[in-house]
Amino acid sequence: MILALVVVTALGFDFTNGFHDTGNAMATSIATGALKPKVAVGLSAVLNLVGAFLSVEVALTVTNAVIKVQGADGAPKPEFLADQGVPLLLIVLAGLVGGIVWNMATWLLGLPSSSSHALFGGLIGAAIAALGFGGVNWVGDGSKLDGVVGKVILPALFSPVVAGVVAGIGTWLIFRITAGVAQRFRETGFRWGQIGSASLVSLAHGTNDAQKTMGVITLALIASGHWQSTTGIPFWVKLACALAIAAGTYIGGWRVIRTLGKGLVEISSPQGMAAESASAATILASSHLGFALSTTHVATGAILGSGVGRRGATVRWGVAGRMVIAWLITLPSAAAVGAVMWWIGHLLGGLAGSLVVFGILVVSAAGMYLRSRKTAVHAGNVNNEWDGKVGIPATGETSKELTRA
Amino acid sequence: MHNISLALDGAWKVLLVSLALGAGLPALFAIGIKAMAFGTGGDAETDHAAPHPVGRVVAMVCFAVVVAVALLGILFIVASGMGKALSFEHIYPTIVDKGH
Repeated sequence: MILALVVVTALGFDFTNGFHDTGNAMATSIATGALKPKVAVGLSAVLNLVGAFLSVEVALTVTNAVIKVQGADGAPKPEFLADQGVPLLLIVLAGLVGGIVWNMATWLLGLPSSSSHALFGGLIGAAIAALGFGGVNWVGDGSKLDGVVGKVILPALFSPVVAGVVAGIGTWLIFRITAGVAQRFRETGFRWGQIGSASLVSLAHGTNDAQKTMGVITLALIASGHWQSTTGIPFWVKLACALAIAAGTYIGGWRVIRTLGKGLVEISSPQGMAAESASAATILASSHLGFALSTTHVATGAILGSGVGRRGATVRWGVAGRMVIAWLITLPSAAAVGAVMWWIGHLLGGLAGSLVVFGILVVSAAGMYLRSRKTAVHAGNVNNEWDGKVGIPATGETSKELTRA
Repeated sequence: MHNISLALDGAWKVLLVSLALGAGLPALFAIGIKAMAFGTGGDAETDHAAPHPVGRVVAMVCFAVVVAVALLGILFIVASGMGKALSFEHIYPTIVDKGH
């Protein structure tokens, strides 16, 4: 029963992961009118689905990087296996709830924060509550990038900068090279490049992010004795995770898409292509070299870079500043929620505790959803002119870009 | 503080590879657009020059290279997802086992 709650919650996290991150790949294509909003999220959803199936590498060690509940091979440590793995399941459940609640809250505010940080933050908080500070893998053993510092904090510092520099240089080169080309001709041409590069980002997102949930679910299955292999993932887990992230992507976190596409930079097709190419290249190069990083940080850095690289482009540093603050507090906030959830679950104990934690998740998620309806952002108004308010759509005319597309 | 030096070391590599692919490819695409405009002439360019057919050929070559590299990128994602790696030891890409 507790296992079922963990699985459902993990899939719920995967869903919020999908819809929170649609904008990373598609915000620029939607903003420039290269793709109609519905087409963009549909394309991204399909590519996320495909991408999730392509990632068959064992993802069990995802949680290993930040909390100490597993041995080196990814199997849970024996002390967590008492009582059908309930101690471990509660940590994972509390961590997931922390991740989801924070993802929903930042989505409500229209801030693109990192889903990976939310998940890791939730798990770290739950582990601190359950095991003390020693339950967290802070720096690893020094032989490779590991632990909270190596796998979470440092990549978050350098990846947006790298992506931003690349996108800035790319944008600058593009406008230098295409000087003398009529603006209309240039915009039309670069839309194709934009669609291609955004598709690559979607595919990479599916392979990177769905894997994390697959690892968490498989860990829970092993802990409760429903799965033995530490080198394989049950097919139904893969299928469920792929579908959850694709469904989330298709629903589309329009509030976040709006902030990324319209709020940061007034973006044109060439800038969009530069930003998405920089994102795709940075994500692929880092994952090849074994760096964990957040798609969100990369995409945001790249979009900012594409604004800096074009002379005279509008870059709203105030919006960027709010995002950076959201990034800084994501990990501690999700950790706080995760820790509180663990305490509640532990205090009540057993199934009752887990049910209450799950209930709190459902109520808070429903509450935030209802709150979002008051100022709904959707495919129809996502491209309205930016009026300076993050997370709140401008009323009035649909912007020209949208109707022209 | 091994983590910091390891991260800086890695960040440089990521930056170099990303610059080559993430800025290089869009630049090549831009050259393609420029050549296409040169080939199309008229309203495609701000000076409304006459069309130059050679521009279209150059553009097609540029676009073909960009598409080829992008396809390689997809192949790369697929291969690493399957626990394989791309090898260029035969010049053309082949899929081999990881750690080969």
